[in-house]
Amino acid sequence: MNAASTPAIEVAGLVKRFGAVTALDGLDLRVEQGQVMGFLGPNGSGKSTTIRILLGIARADAGAARLLGGDPWREAVELHRRIAYVPGDVNLWPNLTGGQAIDILSRLRGGVDRTRRDELVERFDLDPGKKARTYSKGNRQKVALVAALASDAELLILDEPTSGLDPLMEGVFTDVVRELAHQGRSVLLSSHIFAEVEKLCDSVTIIRAGRTVEAGTLADLRHLHRTSVSVVLPGGAGTLARRADLHDLAVDGERVSFTVDDAELGGVLADLAARSPRSLVSTPPSLEELFLRHYGVELPATDDAAGAAVASKASAS
Amino acid sequence: MTALAPAPSRPTPATPGHTPPVAAFTAFPDLTRFVLRRNWLRLAIWVIVLVGMVAMVYESQRVAFPTQESRDAYAAVANTPAVAALTGLPYGAGTLGGILNIKIWMTLAVSIGFASIFLLTRNGRAEEENGRTELIRAGAVGHHAYSLANQLVVGGLSVAIGLLIGLTCIGLGLPAEGSLAMGASIAGVGIAFLGIAALAGQLTSTSRAANSLASIVLGVSYLVRAIADVQAEGDTPSPLSWASPIGWAQNMRSFGENVWWPLLLLVGLGIGGCLVAGVIESRRDVGAGVLPDRPGPARATGSLASVLGLAVRLERGPMIGWLLGGLAGGLFYGGVASAMSDLLDSGNAYAKAFMGQADSVLDGIVGLFVMATAMVAAAFAVQSATSVRLEEASGRLEPQLAGAVSRTRWALTHYLVAAGWGIVILVASGLVFGLAFAASQSDPDQVPRILAASTAYIPSLLVLVGVTVLLTGWLPHQAILVSWIVYGASVIIAMFGPLFSLPDEVIDATPLAATPRVPGVELQAMPLVVLSLVALAFWALGLLRFRARDLTQA
Ligand SMILES: Nc1ncnc2c1ncn2[C@@H]1O[C@H](COP(=O)(O)OP(=O)(O)O)[C@@H](O)[C@H]1O
Ligand SMILES: [Mg+2]
Repeated sequence: MNAASTPAIEVAGLVKRFGAVTALDGLDLRVEQGQVMGFLGPNGSGKSTTIRILLGIARADAGAARLLGGDPWREAVELHRRIAYVPGDVNLWPNLTGGQAIDILSRLRGGVDRTRRDELVERFDLDPGKKARTYSKGNRQKVALVAALASDAELLILDEPTSGLDPLMEGVFTDVVRELAHQGRSVLLSSHIFAEVEKLCDSVTIIRAGRTVEAGTLADLRHLHRTSVSVVLPGGAGTLARRADLHDLAVDGERVSFTVDDAELGGVLADLAARSPRSLVSTPPSLEELFLRHYGVELPATDDAAGAAVASKASAS
Repeated sequence: MTALAPAPSRPTPATPGHTPPVAAFTAFPDLTRFVLRRNWLRLAIWVIVLVGMVAMVYESQRVAFPTQESRDAYAAVANTPAVAALTGLPYGAGTLGGILNIKIWMTLAVSIGFASIFLLTRNGRAEEENGRTELIRAGAVGHHAYSLANQLVVGGLSVAIGLLIGLTCIGLGLPAEGSLAMGASIAGVGIAFLGIAALAGQLTSTSRAANSLASIVLGVSYLVRAIADVQAEGDTPSPLSWASPIGWAQNMRSFGENVWWPLLLLVGLGIGGCLVAGVIESRRDVGAGVLPDRPGPARATGSLASVLGLAVRLERGPMIGWLLGGLAGGLFYGGVASAMSDLLDSGNAYAKAFMGQADSVLDGIVGLFVMATAMVAAAFAVQSATSVRLEEASGRLEPQLAGAVSRTRWALTHYLVAAGWGIVILVASGLVFGLAFAASQSDPDQVPRILAASTAYIPSLLVLVGVTVLLTGWLPHQAILVSWIVYGASVIIAMFGPLFSLPDEVIDATPLAATPRVPGVELQAMPLVVLSLVALAFWALGLLRFRARDLTQA
């Protein structure tokens, strides 16, 4: 089979019920080889359930799921040699040390690269000689992260992997995942931390109540949405307020801000140019905005939001 | 605007597939080593205690019945309904092997049954419940590899204990075939309950429920065979005996006729249980039981949102279960005691010795049965008292204490629920026992007598809970294990202390044996006062330390 064309993850119409609760209701998800996919959704939307089905430790009621081209349930053993997994809530054996736990988990995947393991233990600043019962949540998380990131897995499945890590360690995590992505590994990163996903992922899938509501590259998604514009016009808003294609218009003396559908952006900019603006900042929608829009919350287009988004524009473009 | 993933080229419906047989067990050797490493100490303790018990009891019986005449005299009187009900139908009492069987076989069988249940659940359902199985199964690990490793280690324990018991008996000079049959019958019970525990671990979704379900099956098996043994004709039990796995093993009649084929039934139940468990396992999600979790109320009622209300709610299932168990036990003992009153000859020398200093053999037996109900009540109380450590170890205690609740009040509430409900079970089963016995004897005076005998165990029960209070305060990490060791030792010494040739002072220094066995002996105040003071000291010291020390999670 042609390995390059087989998606790392391919899920279509996945349904999972727990008694009366429908956790997944026709979910779709596709991760190409080498892709770093953000998997976003509010609490209880079905991220962990999807991942558990992909790991072959839970069974779907309907729909199709393929992992690296294989059946997650039937071919679990061979597939698990090629993947690594980090759960969001790591529970370790209280009377084994963190180092022992790393080795056990790595061996069950199929072997440990000692140098790589030691390097990561160092980078994550973990004391591997302590009993797991003395670890904080963040330290338990590091154990699972080291075991997974030290592996030679083609695909990393990370379920809210940074919960409990301090910002410094989050930075280390980001660096390591970037390095792995450069090596061409695929990553599925479930998260609710937008900054993390924006930093690491080239694509995102947003789910809600067990269904996919949005999927694509970050750039595409932004394109489908409104850009926020913040502009200083010496003459004030004037007739601008009458344009039907501006949304969320806010006028504060000379300062005018609004959002505009990307399709209308050209016309609006021509209009603005005629009014000789003194400054103009246009910001693509942040992931957070995209996300919240799906859940019925609109962010006010304040100066704060625009200011904060300047940086993200710089890094995104 | 929604970009759907294109349908996969070769969609596979997510119906139960069949794992290739070999892949289902990938990583089995690694996992077996892992289970051994996590459990070697527990395994060693079970082996040493059970095999050691055989050697000790044999020695004491050899001394007690040194000549063939003494054994023949014993054989003439050994078959009493009390012995049959508690320790199994006696046979072959004219030989040392037969006597060894009468004295220790049932204890070994029940113990090894519990060993299988607790160990299998500890490594099975408990690991799944706390999410570690998920971590393991995410590795290149076959669907059944971990369960099989667990079953193999626990089954191996039974085989090892059975083999060592057989070899020990041979080493002590007992007939080889009987020795091996005894070891095999004990191992068989362990393997049978391994199968039952494996099933229980698949049906339920918590370790507590799995342990309870399998223990109930063990308890019912014990009762069924007790009824069968009481209804025996001579030394042949009633056919009902075949309805209980413990009965199957008894019917191997080690040191008697040495019948081997029931071993097939026992091993068959063990393997069959594991196979069915494997089938269920391959059809369900990791972490789930067979029954889905049902939704509950979205709000806590006022009473639930209090320390006492929560303590009672968390213990509700065991409280009801153990009370029903205690009542059933009381009823059963009432019936057995009545059945015996006609048969018993108070001149029966052996029975007299077995029943302590009671003037009337019947009273001695009633005292023994009351103690048995006290053991049930105390088992509930200890289990319930360990919930304090469980709440602490799981990290659930910290957020509770972050509310406006004092540590001492929180812990004391839990301990009082444990002890209070233990006393309810004690008194209720004593009452039912008394009523059943009084009705059959047409003697209403039996009710207050037996009730008084039950009530006398309240201080013992408070001491046993006190042990848990003390340990939870001072030795939190070992508290639960050591609590059960102390409880188990108290039970074994109270039942069999004289068999181990232990000095009276030692026997009377254990909580259950210290209580006077009313109505066979007079109710003295002194031991009860001492027990109460000891209980008070344990509770106070334990609570003081619990208030002063750091909380530590598992
Ligand atoms: N074992 C289970 N039994 C019943 N309901 C469950 C179970 N596991 C998950 N759920 C339900 O499925 C839904 C999705 O949960 P999950 O996948 O854990 O969400 P997420 O990881 O996105 O927060 C939730 O409504 C959750 O309550
Ligand atoms: Mg989750």
